[in-house]
Amino acid sequence: MTAHSSRTRSAALRLDWLTVALILGGVLLVYYLAPMVSLFLSVPAGEVISRMGDPTVVNAASTSVLSASITTVLATAFGLPLAYWLARTETAMKNVVLAIVVLPLVLPPTVGGVILLTVFGPNAVVGSAAVAAGVPLTRSLAGVVLAQTFVASPFIVVTAKAAFEAVDPTLEYASRSLGKGRWTTALRVTLPLAGPGILAGMTLVFARAMGEFGATMMMAYYPRTMPVQIWVSFISLGLDSAYPVAILLLVIAVVALAVLNTIASNPWE
Amino acid sequence: MTLELSQLSKSYGQFEFGPVDLAVDHQVLAVLGPSGSGKTTLLSLIAGIAAPDSGSIRLGGRKLGGLPLEDRHVGMVFQEGALFPHMTARENIEYAATTSDRVDELATVLELEGVLDRKPPTLSGGEQQRVALARTLATDPDMLLLDEPLSSLDAPIRKRLRDELHSLFESLDIPVLYVTHDQRTATALGDRIAIVRDGDLEQVGTPSTVLTQPTNRFVARFTGNENLFDGTVTDRTADEAMIQFGDVQLQTTASNLSASAVTVCIHPSRVEVEAPYVADGDRTANTVTGTVTRWLNEGSEYRVEIEIDAVSLALTANVRPPTFERLALETGSEVRVLIPQESIHLIPERE
Repeated sequence: MTAHSSRTRSAALRLDWLTVALILGGVLLVYYLAPMVSLFLSVPAGEVISRMGDPTVVNAASTSVLSASITTVLATAFGLPLAYWLARTETAMKNVVLAIVVLPLVLPPTVGGVILLTVFGPNAVVGSAAVAAGVPLTRSLAGVVLAQTFVASPFIVVTAKAAFEAVDPTLEYASRSLGKGRWTTALRVTLPLAGPGILAGMTLVFARAMGEFGATMMMAYYPRTMPVQIWVSFISLGLDSAYPVAILLLVIAVVALAVLNTIASNPWE
Repeated sequence: MTLELSQLSKSYGQFEFGPVDLAVDHQVLAVLGPSGSGKTTLLSLIAGIAAPDSGSIRLGGRKLGGLPLEDRHVGMVFQEGALFPHMTARENIEYAATTSDRVDELATVLELEGVLDRKPPTLSGGEQQRVALARTLATDPDMLLLDEPLSSLDAPIRKRLRDELHSLFESLDIPVLYVTHDQRTATALGDRIAIVRDGDLEQVGTPSTVLTQPTNRFVARFTGNENLFDGTVTDRTADEAMIQFGDVQLQTTASNLSASAVTVCIHPSRVEVEAPYVADGDRTANTVTGTVTRWLNEGSEYRVEIEIDAVSLALTANVRPPTFERLALETGSEVRVLIPQESIHLIPERE
């Protein structure tokens, strides 16, 4: 009897603690949600929709979607092999390589931009050669993609690495012992099984590339991506004129989240 | 098609496998050993999952060393089946099969018709192993490797699948290596048994040879020979020898052992427990008397421990239930144990 009541009391106590935790955490939730709701309330819906057709908004949106798509493809093409190697290798070098991959994630994006300019800037070796060849790597779509890839590609490497690690190597051995080569095995066994994780990585790369500002500002102020356009509108015309693009980016972020929670496997769940 | 291993060796840190020499033709070799003894290493080297440090592997004269897995034509059935979880049973088999006729044919042989459209996670352990087997056989491999395919199954299903495997193996005309840590499975399925310990082959022979004539104490213990006594050969003629352990004197059949210090090995299933007093006097040779100290009902038979009179030796005997009940055995019962000459095996070493 005594044991029973003390157990009930401790359960009640635990519940109390959880409630306290939720109340404290709730402050943060409100802090996230309230400004987003406020953004939608700040501008009449009709006005926002009419301003979406504005050439600067359309140009910024198409530049962002195009560059982020190219970035996602590039990051996937080079990131998947690296992720697979990281997932399967047993060398001690692995941790060094992983640290290099994570570095752009923790580096301030503007610093990333500075670093990139030392290589791709018009006065740098690679950059000047590219200008001479007629493909300038700054103030161009190529510059946007380079900036976005530097900042966003680590997402697919770390996410796909975890996805590959979850595929039992025995399944790959089984496939190969059935006479299928490494390529067939990768296409029909490893990639389908790691698919949701890879898709999550691609979604994160795309979302991060869409939002890239710091490195892009340094590398390619033109053509303007959406985050750059927000900044320009805000500085030249005030906060009101930054709303349409901001709302567009918010919608894209919500769609990315929806993808993560449906067909992709959310790496943070 | 013959598998030939020559001086095959591999080391992982402290663990040394081999060097192993072995030849397997159209037969089933059951590889029996405790966990960590190197059984799976042996399969990995043949399949091509691991590369040997030295030595060669030949299959039908073809050198397998250096070939990638996919070019070896060596079928492998993995411990948990290793079925592709995103494919149905049919798709798993089709993945390996060259024609769809082959899929249906194997599904019939392995009784899989009803489960072909299901995904592996929804199949029972036995069904998963049958699908895995069908998938491997669909490639028409030059030899078959099986890594404890029955170990995760419940006893009745394991027994049934073991029977099925037995007839399946007989229909195959290729070398089969079957790894297990279960002595019953090894003796039931193996044409020969290889006992593995610490990366070395301790003994290779037919099941009955390995069970009744172990070459050393490890093999003896691992195959259930619980009665191992330090003994001395006291007298030897052309076809008979007298051995002594403690105060017990026993006669054995011909032995070509030259050592006089031996281990006397008597399998518990090869002695007869009888009532202490008998009328006919001609069955008193090679008998000892003693007292039952402990017994255990192991299902199909009783395991009875007997303290032999006058010496402090404990002998274990397997007793079939009818005998156990006829003698009304219990702790403290006086018994007489007949040890037939041919049940005594001598190992030329002592502990």
